[in-house]
Amino acid sequence: MRAKIDSHGHVFARASTEFPREISQLMPEDRQESVEKLLAEMENNRIDQAVLVQTGGANIASHTYLLHCLKSYPQHFLGIGLIPPDTSDCASHMDRLAENSAIIGFRLSALGGPRDPFAPIDVSRFETFPIWKYAAEQDYVLWLYLRAMDAHLIPYLLEEFPQVRVVINHLGICPGRGKFSVDQDGRPQVETPSYNPAFHTTHRLARYENVMIHLSGQYAFGKEAYPYRDLAGWHRSLVGIYSAERLMWATDFPWIFNNPGYGKMTRIIDELLPELSEHEYNQIMGGNAKRFLRFPDCQN
Amino acid sequence: MVRPTAEQQKQWNDAGYLVFEKAIQGDDLKRLQDAFDHWSVVCKEDWLNQVEAGESTATFYDIPDPFAKDEIFVDLIDHPSYYGALMTFTDDQLILLGPQVRTVPPWPLSYISWHPDVPFSNPLHIKVQIYVHDVLPESGEFAFVPGSHKLDSGPYPKVKRARSMPGHRTFPGEAGTAIIFNTYGWHTSMDIQTGIARKSIILIYEKSTPNRVSPDRFAAIANYCVTPQRRRLFSLEAYES
Repeated sequence: MRAKIDSHGHVFARASTEFPREISQLMPEDRQESVEKLLAEMENNRIDQAVLVQTGGANIASHTYLLHCLKSYPQHFLGIGLIPPDTSDCASHMDRLAENSAIIGFRLSALGGPRDPFAPIDVSRFETFPIWKYAAEQDYVLWLYLRAMDAHLIPYLLEEFPQVRVVINHLGICPGRGKFSVDQDGRPQVETPSYNPAFHTTHRLARYENVMIHLSGQYAFGKEAYPYRDLAGWHRSLVGIYSAERLMWATDFPWIFNNPGYGKMTRIIDELLPELSEHEYNQIMGGNAKRFLRFPDCQN
Repeated sequence: MVRPTAEQQKQWNDAGYLVFEKAIQGDDLKRLQDAFDHWSVVCKEDWLNQVEAGESTATFYDIPDPFAKDEIFVDLIDHPSYYGALMTFTDDQLILLGPQVRTVPPWPLSYISWHPDVPFSNPLHIKVQIYVHDVLPESGEFAFVPGSHKLDSGPYPKVKRARSMPGHRTFPGEAGTAIIFNTYGWHTSMDIQTGIARKSIILIYEKSTPNRVSPDRFAAIANYCVTPQRRRLFSLEAYES
C-alpha cells in the first residue's frame, strides 16, 4: 500500500509559557489546533504522514510546539520552520531548529530582491541569498509562499542554486499586497484574479527540476464552494506543465477543518483531476512528497 | 489597398505566417518609437503597483488603452503594409479585437509557453506582431511552428525549453518588422538571453461574425474612424451579411 502524505498543514497550541506563540486574528490566544486533532483526522481518512509548517512566529521559542509534535510523532511528521526576517545569523537559526529534529526546511514569504523587473539582478545582493546558500550547503528544503512582487525573482535563485529542493505552496499563487482577509469560517482568504499572474511566473518554472508545486489552498482562492470547480482548469494546467511527478497534494489543515472538512479535502484531487491515472494519482497524493522530502517509511 | 501576391498567399496557406520587413519605417517608425517609449515610462509605476497587488504579472506589461494615448497606435491597425493581406485572408471581413502594446523585461525564461490562441472552431483569428525596436536573436523574438495552423498538424509536445519545440522557426528582426500569423498555429516568445527588453505591439484581429465586438468597444475613437472601412474594422458598423 502506498503512503498518503498531506504535504502542508499547521498545528498550534494555546498561547502559553510552555508553548509561546504570536497572537493574530487567525490564531487568537485561546485557539488551539493540536497535533492530536490532526492525527485523528488523518487516521479517519487513511492519511499516513504530513508536513507540519510553523505558524505563530519565527523566533526559536515560537517553534516549541512544532518541535514537540515532531519529537512526539517521528514516524508521522516532517517539519518546516520559519526564519525571522531581521536575523543576522540565519545559518545558526536554521541549524538550531533542524539539529536533532525532523525540521527539513524553511518557509519564505519574501526574497528581498529588486521590485522592478527591469533592475539589474545580482542574486548575491538579495536579502535571502544567505538562506539559499546555506540551504544549498545543508540540503534544507525551501518552502515558498511569496508576495506577488517577489514571484519574478524565483528563477534567478533557481539558476544559482539548482541543488536546493524548492516547494512552491498553494497552486503557485503569490498573494498581492492588501489581498488577505479572514472569512467567517476563520480561514485565510486571498483575493485572486481568475487570469492569474502566476501563469506567467511560478507556472513557468517547470524546467527547473528541483521545483515542486502544491495542489492546496483552494479554499482561499476559489470563487465557488467545495470542490472549487472554478479552479479545475488551474489544476489541469499544472499537471500539463509540471506533470503529475512534480505536484503534491495538501489540505492546509486546520483552516479547512470546518469548511469543507478534512475528509472532503482528501478527495479534492479525485474531484478536480478525475482523469489522472492510478499512478499519477498516487504520486500526487503522497509518492512525490515521500521521494522529494524523504519521508521515513511509515507503518500504514 | 495592396493585396498579397500569389507567393505570399501560398506562404500564408502553407506556413501560416508572413513577414513584412520595414512594414513601419521613416517618420511613422520614429513616431511609434517615441510614443511607445514615452508611455512605457509614464505607465510603468502603475504597472509595478499592480504587480505588487497581485493583479498583473511582472514578466510583461502592456500600456493600457493605447488608442487614447496616441493616434499612431490607431494608425497601425490598418497600416497599408499589411492591411491588404489581412483583408484578403479574412475575405474582406476584418475586425479588430484589440491591441497589446507590450514590453517584456529580461527574465531567465520566456513569459509564455508554446501555444495556439484559439481552437479550430473559432473564426479565423490573426495576430500581427510589430517590433518597435530591433529584436535580436535570443531577445524574446517571436517564434512559430510553420504549418501548425493546419487542422491535420501536430500533436505538439509540451517542451520545457522553447528551443526544444520540433520544427519551429524564430523571427528576430529590425524595428518596424511586422509578422502576421494565424493563431491556430503554435507560437511563443523565445527566452531573453541578452538582457534587452523586447518592445513590440501585438494587434489581434478576427474574421467578422455577428455581434463579436460591441459597437461601444472602440466608440471613444470614433473621431478617427471616418471611412466605412475603418468603422467596420473597429466594429462601429457591422459588415453587411
